[in-house]
Amino acid sequence: MNSKSRVVSTVMRSTILALAWTMGPCTFAAAAPAAAAPPPPAAPAPAAAAPKADAATAAEEPPAPGTPVTDSAPAEFKTLDQEVQGMKKEVIDLNKDLFVLQEELLFPANTQVAVYVSMDVGAFFALDSVTLKIDNKEVKNYLYTAREAEALLKGGVQEIYLGNLKVGKHELVAFFTGKGPVERGYKRGATITFDKGVGAKYLELKITDRVSKHQPEFKIKDWD
Amino acid sequence: MSALLAAAALSAVPTLVGKPAPDFALRSMDGKNRRLSEFRGQVVLVNFWARWAGDSRQEMPALDRINTTYNRAGLVVLGVSVDEDWRRAREFADAMKVGYPILFDTTADIGRNYLLRKMPMTILVDRSGVVRYSSAGFKSGDELAYLDEIRELLRE
Repeated sequence: MNSKSRVVSTVMRSTILALAWTMGPCTFAAAAPAAAAPPPPAAPAPAAAAPKADAATAAEEPPAPGTPVTDSAPAEFKTLDQEVQGMKKEVIDLNKDLFVLQEELLFPANTQVAVYVSMDVGAFFALDSVTLKIDNKEVKNYLYTAREAEALLKGGVQEIYLGNLKVGKHELVAFFTGKGPVERGYKRGATITFDKGVGAKYLELKITDRVSKHQPEFKIKDWD
Repeated sequence: MSALLAAAALSAVPTLVGKPAPDFALRSMDGKNRRLSEFRGQVVLVNFWARWAGDSRQEMPALDRINTTYNRAGLVVLGVSVDEDWRRAREFADAMKVGYPILFDTTADIGRNYLLRKMPMTILVDRSGVVRYSSAGFKSGDELAYLDEIRELLRE
Protein backbone atom coordinates (compact mmCIF):
# COMPACT_ATOMS: atom_id res chain seq x y z
CA MET A 1 0.00 0.00 0.00
CA ASN A 2 1.47 3.38 -0.93
CA SER A 3 1.62 6.38 1.45
CA LYS A 4 -1.34 8.16 -0.18
CA SER A 5 -3.76 5.25 0.13
CA ARG A 6 -2.55 4.63 3.68
CA VAL A 7 -3.29 8.23 4.57
CA VAL A 8 -6.78 7.98 3.02
CA SER A 9 -7.59 4.73 4.82
CA THR A 10 -6.26 6.09 8.13
CA VAL A 11 -8.25 9.30 7.78
CA MET A 12 -11.40 7.27 6.94
CA ARG A 13 -10.84 5.04 9.94
CA SER A 14 -10.34 8.02 12.21
CA THR A 15 -13.51 9.70 10.84
CA ILE A 16 -15.56 6.56 11.49
CA LEU A 17 -14.09 6.27 14.97
CA ALA A 18 -14.75 9.92 15.70
CA LEU A 19 -18.38 9.55 14.51
CA ALA A 20 -18.85 6.44 16.63
CA TRP A 21 -17.31 8.24 19.56
CA THR A 22 -19.69 11.20 19.30
CA MET A 23 -22.73 8.88 18.96
CA GLY A 24 -22.05 7.61 22.43
CA PRO A 25 -21.98 4.17 24.07
CA CYS A 26 -25.79 3.60 23.90
CA THR A 27 -25.65 3.68 20.12
CA PHE A 28 -22.89 1.07 20.17
CA ALA A 29 -25.16 -1.23 22.17
CA ALA A 30 -28.02 -0.81 19.70
CA ALA A 31 -25.74 -1.26 16.73
CA ALA A 32 -23.96 -4.23 18.21
CA PRO A 33 -24.82 -7.45 16.38
CA ALA A 34 -26.88 -10.02 18.25
CA ALA A 35 -24.01 -12.45 18.16
CA ALA A 36 -21.95 -10.04 20.23
CA ALA A 37 -24.47 -10.18 23.09
CA PRO A 38 -23.02 -11.81 26.18
CA PRO A 39 -24.00 -15.37 27.02
CA PRO A 40 -26.47 -15.75 29.91
CA PRO A 41 -24.85 -16.14 33.31
CA ALA A 42 -23.67 -19.70 33.86
CA ALA A 43 -24.80 -19.90 37.46
CA PRO A 44 -28.59 -19.66 37.82
CA ALA A 45 -29.76 -16.65 39.78
CA PRO A 46 -31.63 -17.33 43.05
CA ALA A 47 -34.90 -16.04 41.57
CA ALA A 48 -34.57 -18.39 38.61
CA ALA A 49 -35.32 -21.35 40.89
CA ALA A 50 -38.83 -19.99 41.59
CA PRO A 51 -41.80 -20.72 39.27
CA LYS A 52 -41.89 -18.74 36.02
CA ALA A 53 -44.79 -16.44 37.02
CA ASP A 54 -43.02 -15.54 40.25
CA ALA A 55 -39.86 -14.80 38.38
CA ALA A 56 -41.76 -12.46 36.07
CA THR A 57 -43.28 -10.62 39.03
CA ALA A 58 -39.90 -10.41 40.69
CA ALA A 59 -38.46 -8.90 37.55
CA GLU A 60 -41.03 -6.09 37.64
CA GLU A 61 -40.46 -5.24 41.30
CA PRO A 62 -37.30 -3.52 42.47
CA PRO A 63 -34.94 -5.97 44.16
CA ALA A 64 -34.95 -6.04 47.93
CA PRO A 65 -31.92 -4.52 49.59
CA GLY A 66 -29.10 -7.02 49.73
CA THR A 67 -30.60 -9.15 46.97
CA PRO A 68 -28.07 -9.68 44.17
CA VAL A 69 -29.11 -7.96 40.93
CA THR A 70 -29.63 -10.74 38.45
CA ASP A 71 -30.98 -9.01 35.35
CA SER A 72 -28.87 -8.60 32.24
CA ALA A 73 -27.99 -4.88 32.79
CA PRO A 74 -24.57 -5.45 34.42
CA ALA A 75 -23.61 -7.85 31.64
CA GLU A 76 -24.61 -5.22 29.07
CA PHE A 77 -22.58 -2.62 30.87
CA LYS A 78 -19.67 -5.03 30.89
CA THR A 79 -19.95 -5.48 27.13
CA LEU A 80 -20.20 -1.73 26.65
CA ASP A 81 -17.18 -1.22 28.83
CA GLN A 82 -15.24 -3.80 26.82
CA GLU A 83 -16.30 -2.10 23.62
CA VAL A 84 -15.23 1.30 24.92
CA GLN A 85 -11.89 -0.15 26.01
CA GLY A 86 -11.49 -1.69 22.56
CA MET A 87 -12.25 1.64 20.92
CA LYS A 88 -9.75 3.40 23.16
CA LYS A 89 -7.07 0.90 22.20
CA GLU A 90 -7.94 1.41 18.55
CA VAL A 91 -7.66 5.19 18.94
CA ILE A 92 -4.23 4.77 20.54
CA ASP A 93 -3.12 2.46 17.71
CA LEU A 94 -4.44 4.96 15.20
CA ASN A 95 -2.53 7.77 16.86
CA LYS A 96 0.62 5.70 16.62
CA ASP A 97 -0.03 5.01 12.92
CA LEU A 98 -0.63 8.70 12.27
CA PHE A 99 2.59 9.65 14.04
CA VAL A 100 4.59 7.17 11.97
CA LEU A 101 2.87 8.42 8.81
CA GLN A 102 3.59 12.03 9.70
CA GLU A 103 7.25 11.18 10.20
CA GLU A 104 7.31 9.32 6.88
CA LEU A 105 5.66 12.20 5.03
CA LEU A 106 7.66 15.01 6.63
CA PHE A 107 10.98 13.20 6.53
CA PRO A 108 10.76 10.63 3.73
CA ALA A 109 13.46 8.00 3.99
CA ASN A 110 15.01 8.92 0.65
CA THR A 111 15.76 12.51 1.73
CA GLN A 112 16.13 12.00 5.47
CA VAL A 113 19.24 13.02 7.37
CA ALA A 114 19.46 12.37 11.09
CA VAL A 115 22.27 13.58 13.33
CA TYR A 116 22.92 12.06 16.76
CA VAL A 117 25.16 13.10 19.66
CA SER A 118 26.95 10.69 21.95
CA MET A 119 29.57 11.21 24.63
CA ASP A 120 32.09 8.84 26.12
CA VAL A 121 33.83 9.39 29.48
CA GLY A 122 33.87 13.21 29.44
CA ALA A 123 36.69 13.68 31.93
CA PHE A 124 38.24 16.40 29.76
CA PHE A 125 35.10 18.08 28.48
CA ALA A 126 31.84 19.35 29.96
CA LEU A 127 29.37 19.92 27.13
CA ASP A 128 27.53 23.23 27.00
CA SER A 129 26.18 23.58 23.47
CA VAL A 130 26.32 22.19 19.94
CA THR A 131 25.77 24.19 16.77
CA LEU A 132 25.18 22.41 13.49
CA LYS A 133 25.71 23.84 10.04
CA ILE A 134 24.79 21.96 6.89
CA ASP A 135 26.11 23.41 3.65
CA ASN A 136 27.05 26.59 5.54
CA LYS A 137 23.53 27.13 6.88
CA GLU A 138 22.88 26.90 10.61
CA VAL A 139 20.25 24.24 11.17
CA LYS A 140 20.47 23.70 14.92
CA ASN A 141 21.80 25.33 18.05
CA TYR A 142 21.25 23.22 21.13
CA LEU A 143 21.97 24.29 24.71
CA TYR A 144 22.55 21.45 27.19
CA THR A 145 21.41 21.57 30.79
CA ALA A 146 23.45 19.74 33.44
CA ARG A 147 20.85 16.97 33.45
CA GLU A 148 21.03 16.47 29.68
CA ALA A 149 24.85 16.42 29.70
CA GLU A 150 24.74 13.84 32.48
CA ALA A 151 22.32 11.70 30.48
CA LEU A 152 24.80 11.72 27.58
CA LEU A 153 27.63 10.74 29.91
CA LYS A 154 25.56 7.83 31.14
CA GLY A 155 25.42 6.45 27.60
CA GLY A 156 22.41 8.29 26.22
CA VAL A 157 22.29 9.12 22.51
CA GLN A 158 20.42 12.27 21.48
CA GLU A 159 18.79 12.87 18.12
CA ILE A 160 19.80 16.49 17.72
CA TYR A 161 18.62 17.03 14.17
CA LEU A 162 16.27 15.44 11.67
CA GLY A 163 15.86 17.03 8.27
CA ASN A 164 15.74 16.53 4.54
CA LEU A 165 18.53 16.81 2.01
CA LYS A 166 18.79 16.27 -1.70
CA VAL A 167 20.87 13.44 -3.10
CA GLY A 168 24.49 14.51 -3.58
CA LYS A 169 27.51 15.88 -1.72
CA HIS A 170 26.95 17.86 1.47
CA GLU A 171 29.07 19.29 4.26
CA LEU A 172 28.23 19.12 7.95
CA VAL A 173 30.10 21.30 10.43
CA ALA A 174 29.54 20.86 14.17
CA PHE A 175 30.78 23.32 16.79
CA PHE A 176 31.06 22.11 20.35
CA THR A 177 31.36 24.54 23.24
CA GLY A 178 31.88 23.73 26.88
CA LYS A 179 34.53 23.52 29.52
CA GLY A 180 37.74 21.75 28.65
CA PRO A 181 40.60 20.57 30.83
CA VAL A 182 41.27 22.78 33.88
CA GLU A 183 37.73 24.25 33.65
CA ARG A 184 38.70 26.47 30.74
CA GLY A 185 36.29 27.62 28.06
CA TYR A 186 36.60 25.31 25.09
CA LYS A 187 35.31 25.55 21.54
CA ARG A 188 36.08 23.03 18.83
CA GLY A 189 34.70 22.15 15.44
CA ALA A 190 34.45 18.98 13.41
CA THR A 191 33.63 18.71 9.72
CA ILE A 192 32.49 15.93 7.48
CA THR A 193 31.67 15.82 3.81
CA PHE A 194 29.22 13.10 3.01
CA ASP A 195 27.38 11.68 0.04
CA LYS A 196 23.65 11.61 0.44
CA GLY A 197 22.35 8.62 -1.48
CA VAL A 198 18.77 7.48 -2.08
CA GLY A 199 18.32 6.03 1.40
CA ALA A 200 18.32 7.76 4.79
CA LYS A 201 21.60 9.11 6.14
CA TYR A 202 22.65 8.79 9.77
CA LEU A 203 25.55 10.78 11.24
CA GLU A 204 26.88 10.62 14.78
CA LEU A 205 28.76 13.38 16.59
CA LYS A 206 31.05 11.56 19.00
CA ILE A 207 32.77 13.24 21.92
CA THR A 208 35.47 11.11 23.46
CA ASP A 209 38.49 11.56 25.73
CA ARG A 210 41.95 11.36 24.28
CA VAL A 211 43.76 10.15 27.39
CA SER A 212 47.26 10.33 25.89
CA LYS A 213 46.89 14.07 25.19
CA HIS A 214 44.57 14.89 28.10
CA GLN A 215 42.23 16.48 25.60
CA PRO A 216 38.72 15.78 24.35
CA GLU A 217 38.26 14.52 20.82
CA PHE A 218 35.40 15.35 18.47
CA LYS A 219 34.54 13.08 15.58
CA ILE A 220 31.71 12.70 13.14
CA LYS A 221 30.85 9.16 12.17
CA ASP A 222 28.95 8.34 9.00
CA TRP A 223 26.69 5.34 9.57
CA ASP A 224 26.40 3.93 6.05
CA MET B 1 -20.98 49.99 22.28
CA SER B 2 -17.48 51.08 23.23
CA ALA B 3 -17.46 48.41 25.98
CA LEU B 4 -18.40 45.80 23.40
CA LEU B 5 -15.64 46.97 21.09
CA ALA B 6 -13.13 46.88 23.94
CA ALA B 7 -14.23 43.34 24.86
CA ALA B 8 -13.91 42.27 21.22
CA ALA B 9 -10.44 43.81 21.05
CA LEU B 10 -9.42 42.00 24.25
CA SER B 11 -10.71 38.66 22.99
CA ALA B 12 -8.75 39.17 19.78
CA VAL B 13 -5.43 39.40 21.68
CA PRO B 14 -3.66 36.11 21.06
CA THR B 15 -2.91 34.28 24.27
CA LEU B 16 -1.18 31.10 25.28
CA VAL B 17 -3.49 30.41 28.23
CA GLY B 18 -4.70 26.81 28.08
CA LYS B 19 -1.94 25.80 25.68
CA PRO B 20 1.29 23.92 26.43
CA ALA B 21 4.06 26.35 27.37
CA PRO B 22 6.64 26.54 24.54
CA ASP B 23 9.80 24.90 25.81
CA PHE B 24 13.07 26.79 25.95
CA ALA B 25 16.64 26.38 27.14
CA LEU B 26 18.55 29.52 28.07
CA ARG B 27 21.84 30.47 29.63
CA SER B 28 21.45 31.92 33.11
CA MET B 29 23.39 34.50 35.07
CA ASP B 30 25.09 31.84 37.22
CA GLY B 31 26.45 30.16 34.07
CA LYS B 32 24.07 27.19 34.15
CA ASN B 33 21.71 26.39 31.30
CA ARG B 34 18.08 25.96 32.28
CA ARG B 35 15.31 24.26 30.35
CA LEU B 36 11.66 24.95 31.17
CA SER B 37 10.52 21.34 30.64
CA GLU B 38 12.90 20.17 33.37
CA PHE B 39 10.63 21.90 35.91
CA ARG B 40 7.65 19.72 34.98
CA GLY B 41 5.85 18.79 38.19
CA GLN B 42 6.42 22.24 39.69
CA VAL B 43 4.53 25.48 39.21
CA VAL B 44 6.66 27.88 37.17
CA LEU B 45 6.37 31.66 37.01
CA VAL B 46 8.17 33.03 33.97
CA ASN B 47 8.73 36.77 34.09
CA PHE B 48 9.91 38.42 30.88
CA TRP B 49 11.58 41.72 31.67
CA ALA B 50 13.75 44.39 30.09
CA ARG B 51 16.00 47.11 31.39
CA TRP B 52 14.11 49.75 29.46
CA ALA B 53 10.72 48.72 30.90
CA GLY B 54 10.35 50.85 34.04
CA ASP B 55 7.72 48.55 35.54
CA SER B 56 10.27 45.72 35.67
CA ARG B 57 12.09 47.64 38.38
CA GLN B 58 8.94 47.56 40.53
CA GLU B 59 7.92 44.02 39.70
CA MET B 60 11.19 42.18 40.33
CA PRO B 61 11.38 42.83 44.10
CA ALA B 62 7.73 41.69 44.41
CA LEU B 63 8.55 38.50 42.51
CA ASP B 64 11.58 37.96 44.72
CA ARG B 65 9.36 38.06 47.81
CA ILE B 66 6.95 35.57 46.20
CA ASN B 67 9.87 33.31 45.33
CA THR B 68 11.24 33.39 48.88
CA THR B 69 7.84 32.50 50.35
CA TYR B 70 6.63 29.85 47.91
CA ASN B 71 9.86 28.29 46.68
CA ARG B 72 9.68 25.51 49.25
CA ALA B 73 6.07 24.80 48.33
CA GLY B 74 7.06 23.94 44.76
CA LEU B 75 7.15 27.27 42.95
CA VAL B 76 9.95 28.09 40.52
CA VAL B 77 10.46 31.70 39.42
CA LEU B 78 12.46 32.35 36.26
CA GLY B 79 13.32 35.87 35.13
CA VAL B 80 13.94 36.09 31.39
CA SER B 81 15.70 39.20 30.11
CA VAL B 82 14.84 40.11 26.54
CA ASP B 83 17.59 42.74 26.32
CA GLU B 84 19.88 42.29 23.34
CA ASP B 85 22.86 43.36 25.41
CA TRP B 86 23.15 40.64 28.04
CA ARG B 87 26.02 42.40 29.84
CA ARG B 88 23.92 45.45 30.60
CA ALA B 89 20.98 43.21 31.51
CA ARG B 90 23.30 41.40 33.88
CA GLU B 91 24.36 44.66 35.53
CA PHE B 92 20.71 45.58 35.97
CA ALA B 93 19.84 42.18 37.47
CA ASP B 94 22.85 42.41 39.79
CA ALA B 95 21.60 45.74 41.06
CA MET B 96 18.10 44.33 41.65
CA LYS B 97 19.63 41.56 43.85
CA VAL B 98 16.93 38.97 43.18
CA GLY B 99 17.33 35.41 44.43
CA TYR B 100 15.71 33.61 41.51
CA PRO B 101 17.53 32.60 38.30
CA ILE B 102 17.90 35.24 35.61
CA LEU B 103 18.08 33.93 32.03
CA PHE B 104 19.06 35.77 28.87
CA ASP B 105 17.01 35.61 25.68
CA THR B 106 19.29 37.79 23.58
CA THR B 107 17.81 36.71 20.25
CA ALA B 108 14.21 37.34 21.45
CA ASP B 109 13.19 33.97 19.99
CA ILE B 110 11.59 32.82 23.22
CA GLY B 111 9.77 36.13 23.59
CA ARG B 112 8.25 35.65 20.13
CA ASN B 113 7.04 32.16 21.06
CA TYR B 114 5.39 33.63 24.15
CA LEU B 115 3.61 36.34 22.13
CA LEU B 116 5.06 39.19 24.17
CA ARG B 117 3.08 42.35 23.59
CA LYS B 118 3.95 44.52 26.59
CA MET B 119 6.86 44.50 29.03
CA PRO B 120 7.15 43.15 31.62
CA MET B 121 5.05 40.04 31.06
CA THR B 122 4.35 37.28 33.55
CA ILE B 123 3.25 33.76 32.68
CA LEU B 124 2.22 30.99 35.07
CA VAL B 125 2.75 27.40 33.99
CA ASP B 126 1.07 24.58 35.90
CA ARG B 127 2.61 21.28 37.02
CA SER B 128 1.73 19.60 33.71
CA GLY B 129 3.40 22.30 31.60
CA VAL B 130 0.28 24.20 30.49
CA VAL B 131 0.08 28.01 30.55
CA ARG B 132 -2.64 28.93 33.04
CA TYR B 133 -2.23 32.66 33.49
CA SER B 134 -0.74 35.52 31.56
CA SER B 135 -0.40 39.16 32.52
CA ALA B 136 1.10 41.96 30.44
CA GLY B 137 2.53 45.06 32.13
CA PHE B 138 2.73 45.61 35.87
CA LYS B 139 1.25 48.00 38.36
CA SER B 140 1.49 47.89 42.11
CA GLY B 141 -1.02 45.37 43.47
CA ASP B 142 -0.76 42.99 40.49
CA GLU B 143 1.38 40.72 42.64
CA LEU B 144 -1.76 39.94 44.68
CA ALA B 145 -3.42 38.56 41.57
CA TYR B 146 -0.29 36.46 40.94
CA LEU B 147 -0.49 35.14 44.50
CA ASP B 148 -4.10 34.04 44.09
CA GLU B 149 -3.22 32.12 40.94
CA ILE B 150 -0.06 30.63 42.42
CA ARG B 151 -1.85 29.36 45.53
CA GLU B 152 -4.50 27.74 43.38
CA LEU B 153 -1.95 26.08 41.11
CA LEU B 154 0.13 24.85 44.05
CA ARG B 155 -2.97 23.20 45.52
CA GLU B 156 -3.59 21.15 42.35
